[in-house]
Amino acid sequence: MSEKKYLETHEWYSLEENIITVGISDFAQGELGDIVFVTLPEVGEVFNKGDSIVEVEATKTVAEAYAPMNIVITEVNSQLETEPELINSDPVGDGWMVKAEVKEVDDSGMTYQEYEAFIS
Amino acid sequence: MSELKTTYLYNFHTSQNAKMIDFGGWSMPFSYDGTLKEHNYVREDSGFFDVSHMGRLRLQQDQMELINSLICSELTSIENTKALYSLFLNESGNALDDVIFWKFDNDLILICNASNTEKITNHLASHNVNFDNLTSDTVLIAVQGKTAIQKLENKFNIPEKFSTGRIDKFTYARTGYTGEDGIEIMCSNDDAEELINYLITIDIKPCGLGSRDTLRLEGSLPLYGFELTEDISPVEAGLKWTITNKSNYLGKDKVDDQINSGKHKYLKRFTLNGRQIARTGTEVFCDNVKGLVTSGNFSPVLQVPIGFVLFESKPPVDLVNFDIRGNLLEGNLLKKRFLS
Repeated sequence: MSEKKYLETHEWYSLEENIITVGISDFAQGELGDIVFVTLPEVGEVFNKGDSIVEVEATKTVAEAYAPMNIVITEVNSQLETEPELINSDPVGDGWMVKAEVKEVDDSGMTYQEYEAFIS
Repeated sequence: MSELKTTYLYNFHTSQNAKMIDFGGWSMPFSYDGTLKEHNYVREDSGFFDVSHMGRLRLQQDQMELINSLICSELTSIENTKALYSLFLNESGNALDDVIFWKFDNDLILICNASNTEKITNHLASHNVNFDNLTSDTVLIAVQGKTAIQKLENKFNIPEKFSTGRIDKFTYARTGYTGEDGIEIMCSNDDAEELINYLITIDIKPCGLGSRDTLRLEGSLPLYGFELTEDISPVEAGLKWTITNKSNYLGKDKVDDQINSGKHKYLKRFTLNGRQIARTGTEVFCDNVKGLVTSGNFSPVLQVPIGFVLFESKPPVDLVNFDIRGNLLEGNLLKKRFLS
């Protein structure tokens, strides 16, 4: 899998051929506090870059994850329906949110080093 | 921006890697191990909270009647070993603050909300009530939970519920704001570390204000600034049980009017059918009566979204709709408390 890239809205993505995996960063989950509900999109749903794809309800606040590029959802992490805390415990691994087919590649995200500088 | 105030235990919090937040001008621990974990420590075992940001004022026994004339509850006639939850009201019968009194033979301790300490000290001064402000010289630690009393029995003489105690350097009462049993302990800053270290050795875990909020909400307890404001009376906030003052008190006429007419706002508890949380400010519809959510969060015990909603008038039915970011979600108003 390719190197993870990060967005200013705190999503990460990794791109493999034209399939993208999306989640939220460790920093984001830390800011949200304990995540209690996740509303995932349906397989086949189409999103443009910047559209809200996932809604995350945490004890502290609600947040959305946005599409990093134009995509069609191919798979959702349904484990999050019953174990939303996976986003807290492993945000860049088991806490991934969706996989999607990329309609138009836009690999302009930040590297981890750049993202680290952005959040600090 | 002015610098945040800190409690005497600030260094302890940071040494425990607490996530600190700005809470009404105070830098306070939001969580140490995570809000849900800390919530469960209290519901299943026990935890302690640094609530030293709350105001602590020593009042005089010989001014009891004067103090009694500023609150909606009967303070004078209860024994000198009791603790009392009450509200200071303004002339309109609305809440200036909700507070706790600890009554002793020689004095009284008044505990008020951090954000209202200045308002209450001004209010007391303007009514010629003398006070000694202990806030910056002492700490206040709330020890709460299923096992709290059992764990504290060796060191403290445990009073009855809603009663006070004093034992060498510690002044305390069997009160709290989580819906669990426990005691709240005040001591001088010099003795704070000893107290904290003791609590840790008897396996009581530090908990932050995040879990204090989920606990008080699940415990059906109102929070000043949300359920209680200077626009809400104790009648409206569902706190009629606190209105026990038989003498005249500030705001009494308005309070009596509301009790007699039933024409006032209504604060209700709700549960939501769904996986979204109705947060503060969410619009609620109950037939033609509108309301606004004052607090909403997830209930770790019930595993559903819960909260309080303030209606403009009496809601005619128990079925309500919440407008959550454009989607209408159904919910139910509850007659009972969230936890029985």
